[in-house]
Order: sequence, then C-alpha cells, then structure tokens
Amino acid sequence: MKPILSVNNYLPNRPVLYGLAAGLMLLLSGCAFNPPAPWERGDLAKSSMRFDNDKLDSLAQKHTYFSKEAASGGSGVGGGGCGCN
Amino acid sequence: MVVTDREHHSAHDAASVPPDRLARRTAFSGLGSITAAALALPGVIASVASAQVAPLEEGVVALKVHAYEDRQPGLTRIRAISPSLYIGVPVASAWSFEATITHDDVSGATPRWHSAISSASKMGDHRTATTATVTRSFERWSIAAGGAYSSEQDYRSRAGSLELRVASEDNNRTWSFAVAHTDDDIFPTNRAVRRATRRTDEFGVGVTQNWTKSDVVQLSITHAQGRGYYNDPYKILDIRPSERDQSTVSVRWNHSMGASGDALRTSWRFYRDTFGIRAHTLDLAYAKFVNDQWTFTPSVRYHTQSAADFYYDPVYDAQIGEPFPVGNPTFSSPDHRLSAFGALTLGARADWRIDSRWSADFKLEFYEQRGAWRLGGGGSPGLAPLKATIAQIGITRRF
Repeated sequence: MKPILSVNNYLPNRPVLYGLAAGLMLLLSGCAFNPPAPWERGDLAKSSMRFDNDKLDSLAQKHTYFSKEAASGGSGVGGGGCGCN
Repeated sequence: MVVTDREHHSAHDAASVPPDRLARRTAFSGLGSITAAALALPGVIASVASAQVAPLEEGVVALKVHAYEDRQPGLTRIRAISPSLYIGVPVASAWSFEATITHDDVSGATPRWHSAISSASKMGDHRTATTATVTRSFERWSIAAGGAYSSEQDYRSRAGSLELRVASEDNNRTWSFAVAHTDDDIFPTNRAVRRATRRTDEFGVGVTQNWTKSDVVQLSITHAQGRGYYNDPYKILDIRPSERDQSTVSVRWNHSMGASGDALRTSWRFYRDTFGIRAHTLDLAYAKFVNDQWTFTPSVRYHTQSAADFYYDPVYDAQIGEPFPVGNPTFSSPDHRLSAFGALTLGARADWRIDSRWSADFKLEFYEQRGAWRLGGGGSPGLAPLKATIAQIGITRRF
C-alpha cells in the first residue's frame, strides 16, 4: 500500500499542476485579493452566489455520480455509503 | 445596505418577517452577510468549507423527485427514481435542525463491463436513506453533529459526523474542520460472502474566503481511510484490496456579475486514491436571472480519471474467449467504473419563484462516458459508451 501521509498524495502530476496554477493566476490577475467591507457584500449574499444552495440537489448529484465514477467526495464528509458502487 | 438573498428577490419580504426571526437576525447580525453569502442549506454531510456559523433564519420544506436512465448502444440499462424530502427548522435562537429522507427505486440491467460480451445482470433494489443534523451557533462559530442511515436489500450504512466552523473577525473568512465515521455492512443476495464489513474514517478541513465584493473562493481538503470489503460480489474475478484511502483537493469559485444577480459558478476537484485512480472534475454553471420570477442556469461538467491499478482491459483469448486478467494478479476487477475514461455532462436548470414562500425547480442533464474522452488520451479500450439522462423536479416552501 502506498504511503498516504505524503504531500504528493494531494497533488496532481506536475504538468497538470503547472497548468492549473497558470490558469488560476490568469483568472485571479483580474481580481486581486481585496476582501469587501460589510456594506460591499450585497452581491455575495445573493442566492446565485451560494455554494450548495440546494441540499437535495447536491445529495442527488453526488449519489448519481458515485454510481457511475470511481472518484467521489470533496465537498464534505460523513454522508454515509451505499451499495451502488 | 446589506442585501440578503430574500431581500434581493422581494423587498416586501422584510415586512413579513416574524418578530422571532427578526430577533435571530439581530442576534447574529454581527456576523455580517458572509454568513448569508455562502449560506447553504446544510445537511448531515459536514460541508467542509461552507461559510456558515449562523443558525437558519427560517424554516424550509423541500420535496424533490430525481430520476435517471442509463443507456448503452441499443440497450437501456439502469433506471432509478428517487423522491426525497428536506426539512430545516430554526429552534430557539441559536439552534438549527435539518433532516432529509430519500427513497431510491432502482431497476434494470447493470452496464456491461466489457463491450463485446453481455455480462449485464438484471437487478432491482430499493434504498432508503435518512440524514439528520443538529447545529448550535455561537457568535463567531458553530458546531454541528450529524447522523446518516441507509438501508437496501444487500447493504446497510451508518455514519456520524462532527463539524466545527469558525468565522474570522471581519466575517470574510470561515474555517471548517470536520470528522466522520461510517460503518457499512454488505450481505450480497448471491451469498458470495455471508456478511462483510467496511469501516471508514474521514477528515476534512476547508476555508471560504470573500475574495472581493464580487468573488467568493472556497478551498477544501478531505481524506478518507477505509478498511474492509471493497469487492463487487456480483462480478467474477473482482478481488480488490481491503484498504482504500481517498484524498481530494477542491476549489470552488463563484463570481457575481453585479446587481443583476447573475453569477458564474466554477469548481475543480482533484481526487486520488490508493487503488491508483487519479481524477479531475471541472464544473461550470452560469446563473442567469431572467426576471423576478425565473432563473435559468445552464451547466457543463467534465470528469476524467485514470484506471485502478488492478483493472484489466478486455483482451480476448482465441480459445478461452472472455477476457481474464493477464497472469495471476492478487487483485483484479472488470468494473468499468474503475477504468480510464472521460465523462461530459450538459445540463440546464430553471428556478421559478412563485411567490415569497413557494418556489419550484426543474433540471435536465445529459451524461456521457467514453474511454476516448479521457484527458490526454489513454482511455481504457473496449468499453461501450455509457449515456444517461437525468431529470429532476422540486418544490420548496419557506415558513
């Protein structure tokens, strides 16, 4: 069994990592880190900006992909298993 | 002025807020709108980096019916229909209770594991899954305890989770720390094993950051250590390791287009496990507010994965015929889900805000999985494409 407590376990291979880093830098270059003041958070409060704003939709989506693909997880822990994979 | 989600949709909502709810809003107003900004409807799944420490502001009941049908060329495979119910209620001024129940009715033939032979088996099963979460909120942090139970003919799963969320002083950042444990029992109907078990421990840490007044970014890392039975008891020559460690790194980034309420939602997840599988999943969705009542959200998802170390391709022997693992390996599996492939999902969702209390949603997605679509090539050969149509309809009532 491969060691699990290695930083490499959490990283993709190098070409992919470099590509992702370059893409992220390009994307963020247009929006430098500038946390908003309380009165500037109106847009962030809109429903369209929420993560997982539909609980049942998220559960159904995870369950569907879990039955078709090998990869799972990433957005939470403790959802329980099922016999579909 | 901070514009909450409901205020965005209906200014007259404020006038109809009951006094006790106003009291709760006031009590947690120091948290700022970030708690509402990334506010999800949380559930038993400890959402690693969901920026929420405030209790629910209102009760929600949602009913949804989710269905999908799998197809391979010329053949209809699995069909599933799953009604589900969600209820979330604030209790007193600092507690929240949430629960879901889902019933899956699955029937049809499982996908052929190799294209040229028909190994599909007819099956039918029912699954009932329930989750419940209790959350206690404090001024800058919250703690949530959850439980999940799932039961079907040949499988039973029980899980518990604990999650701590801590908001920064400026309310622009929320840290999340979560642990969970899952006990699974497997008792196949073909009695390949009498009763097998699997135990999984999960850990997660995440951070959600208001990057700018138009951008919120979330980083999550999860790790799961599983020990026990991983074979597919309904497939011959399916012998897998009894240990599986799975790690993910995911980044989500939502960008607001401004006062219109339109938003671009993106996410990327990297997955890696000790079966040798590496996967990347990219999601893009654009929420377009058509008018005060309708929101239209087209979406695209791409998934690519490598094969498990012990997955074997269909190599046909002139004399034996059906494919078998080459040599005499310790582990082997013909499960197509462990093969190397790429998958694309195209979909659209429509949200209809009927009035200040009622809303409905409709979603339709088309999924296709092919070996040739793996990123960079090198997908597993000999597998029939797998297609699926996924449909969903839901209705929500707030009170």
